[in-house]
Amino acid sequence: MKRLARTMGFCTAAALALTQAEVGFVRDEGYYFTAAQSYEEWLRLLLHAPLQAIAQTERYWSYNFEHPGLTKLLFAASHLVFSTWLKLLPDALAWRLPAFAFAGLLSYWLCILGSSRSRAAGVLAPLLFWCAERTFFHGHLAAFDVPICALWAGVGVAWLGAARRLEEGRPEEGRPQASGLRPQIWFALIYGVALAVKHNAWFLPPVLLVHALLLPREQRTAALKTLPWMLLSPVVLFAAWPLLWHEPVRHLGDWIAFHTHHVHYAWWYLGQVLRAPPFPIVYPLVVDALALPLPLVALLAAAGASLLTGFALRKLEAQRLLELGLAGAALLPFLLTTTPIFGGLKHWLAFVALLTPEAAALLVRATELVPWPRSRALALGAAAALLPGVWQILHLHPYGTSAYGELAGGVPGAASLGMQRQYWSNNVTAVLPWLNAHCPQGARIFFHEVNIESYRTYILSGMLRPDLRYAPAPEAADYAALQWHREFRDREPETWNAFGTRRPATGLYLDEVPQIVVYARPGLPGAP
Amino acid sequence: MRWVPLALMMLIGAGSLLFDLTLASRLPSDADWAEAAGALRARGQAGDAVQVWPPWAERARLFVDALPLVLEEDLAQADYLGVQRLWILSLPRAPRFAAPDDALRSRGATPAAEAQRFGALSLRAWDLHPAPLAADLTRATEDHEVDYLPRRCLRLAIGSRFAARGAGRTLHLRAGVIGERAYDADRPAVEVQAFADGAPAGVLEIPRTERDGTGWRRLEVALPALPATSAPEAFDSVRDFVFAVSSADASRPFCLAAWTTR
Repeated sequence: MKRLARTMGFCTAAALALTQAEVGFVRDEGYYFTAAQSYEEWLRLLLHAPLQAIAQTERYWSYNFEHPGLTKLLFAASHLVFSTWLKLLPDALAWRLPAFAFAGLLSYWLCILGSSRSRAAGVLAPLLFWCAERTFFHGHLAAFDVPICALWAGVGVAWLGAARRLEEGRPEEGRPQASGLRPQIWFALIYGVALAVKHNAWFLPPVLLVHALLLPREQRTAALKTLPWMLLSPVVLFAAWPLLWHEPVRHLGDWIAFHTHHVHYAWWYLGQVLRAPPFPIVYPLVVDALALPLPLVALLAAAGASLLTGFALRKLEAQRLLELGLAGAALLPFLLTTTPIFGGLKHWLAFVALLTPEAAALLVRATELVPWPRSRALALGAAAALLPGVWQILHLHPYGTSAYGELAGGVPGAASLGMQRQYWSNNVTAVLPWLNAHCPQGARIFFHEVNIESYRTYILSGMLRPDLRYAPAPEAADYAALQWHREFRDREPETWNAFGTRRPATGLYLDEVPQIVVYARPGLPGAP
Repeated sequence: MRWVPLALMMLIGAGSLLFDLTLASRLPSDADWAEAAGALRARGQAGDAVQVWPPWAERARLFVDALPLVLEEDLAQADYLGVQRLWILSLPRAPRFAAPDDALRSRGATPAAEAQRFGALSLRAWDLHPAPLAADLTRATEDHEVDYLPRRCLRLAIGSRFAARGAGRTLHLRAGVIGERAYDADRPAVEVQAFADGAPAGVLEIPRTERDGTGWRRLEVALPALPATSAPEAFDSVRDFVFAVSSADASRPFCLAAWTTR
């Protein structure tokens, strides 16, 4: 089982590494790359003057204080080793490498959870998760969303292993197990890693407590004895986040305050720009239904119904009960109508992930019901479930934030429905070759939502000519690469007024729907 | 019954894949756009404009160069200032396409010709039968975004006055706050007072926008006939209009369009 899971994990990481070059640098990645550069400097100082490094954590680590340090530390370490020292990998790939490892871990843990039903379900669970452009795209980013999604599943697997070990005194064959480490310590470590990745981990202890309380008596006792091991977990957070080494209370306070007072970014949803609470209660479910491939939506809905029915009938064993709890906990904050909703489904990826083992099992069961050779039925079922998602990836990658499924009517249907066209500015990669080919030396370009950090990374990675300058507004630009966002529509008329033309020079149109629109001042190369 | 779950899954999968693989055939190619643009070049006249439908099909901008192109979202209410004939350039086979005909008919527009097809594009002219434009009072040359659409309007400072002269029997006012500032919470309304020949003609209030689609405010004022003249000549006389913009919050970017019709 573990060998299969390792294979799935390795294949996932390899697939992401092989397809990352085209993926643009999203806004947040720009910040995390900058943070990783600062942390890399600190790592080098640590190697040469450890005491000095320990004394100067504030200087190097206060940038991007709002997220814990572990993933960014890994981005930095990866870059230090593979790019700075060994010069083996380009900068962006080196920074993103740990993200692929987390994505591999997600596949590993989903395979473990799926395999407890059947080997086929173990293979299908991660495939169901990744065969959608939205999830596939997010797997590429040096960000926290897929890592915390992986840890969400990982904490679940470790919790089951630890609780089972306490209950039975030995791991059960064919069930999720922890590694050779003592399962309770492993569980505490994995939860600590989750804490050190993203604040979503704050929600896990209540989920595990409720899970423990809902278990049959013997299992409940074992699970409740496992919970206190989580008290060890903050050690990982502290160790992996040197910012906490001085004035930890203040920094922890800043971290918590940032997320409890997070701003609400505008978000277009069914023809209305949502700006502030209350948000529609069904928002996350509608976004999932419209953005993911329809067969996956159908399977996830069936999995949710299956788990909820099992729960209502009190027929869920520990693992399925935990999957229901973890999936629900990933979604619950976004059903409260007050949690910031920007970022689309990336914020509740674990909801999708934790339903895939059950979804995979249901698909396998459906293939077992028909009187066909099993392999043939399984191949047909898997093809029906996965091929539309594979097509979505082939058709839309690397423009993952623009992807919509068949229920929406694809990208054009979603545009007619008034759904968020894109976010994070990464789609600009589509027009960089045009800009490189047409812009005169030293041309000023208004990159709209592409922040200065991402702009610098495009130059660093060779995707943008280094002589092209970053203009703060259309009035100060020779060219404008506008990202079509409902809430930023004012930028296009501003560009028309500044350039004296309404006719674009080029653009990125996905299935006719504008994503990036490039304007050039009349008379400049490339202008219509 | 044993077949049902797998059959359902295969039906959903096959249907999804069929949709995905045939989508491109339902959308226009470059050649379709170029042909439609060529037809507009050949048949377009002064007073014509092109409305793309659905309004997200903005790729038309790359091709249509002979006529003004508009991307209004509410065809029943859009002003189409100065447009006699509107060419609807649409993508009727696009997913979730809703035909524009009912909205156009609801405003009194009538088809001027049969629809012409250019691959996945459809082109059809509609007579709008608008009231004749008497005077474009604001004569704006720039566009500003209000309520998520580009509006040809005059940016005015709050606290300022704008004067213009023109004839006509109906005054049309449109106004709104530019960009996201329209949604700023706890902000006072902006008020436009219109005067015709020194007499108050009407007041247009622009409260904070709370719901998309309500930010571009409208006011139609039937102007009184001038004394000592008889209709219809009464409305041919030129009047002096003044528009005074006021608000307790002078910081917001504000835009006004005003015109008269006969």
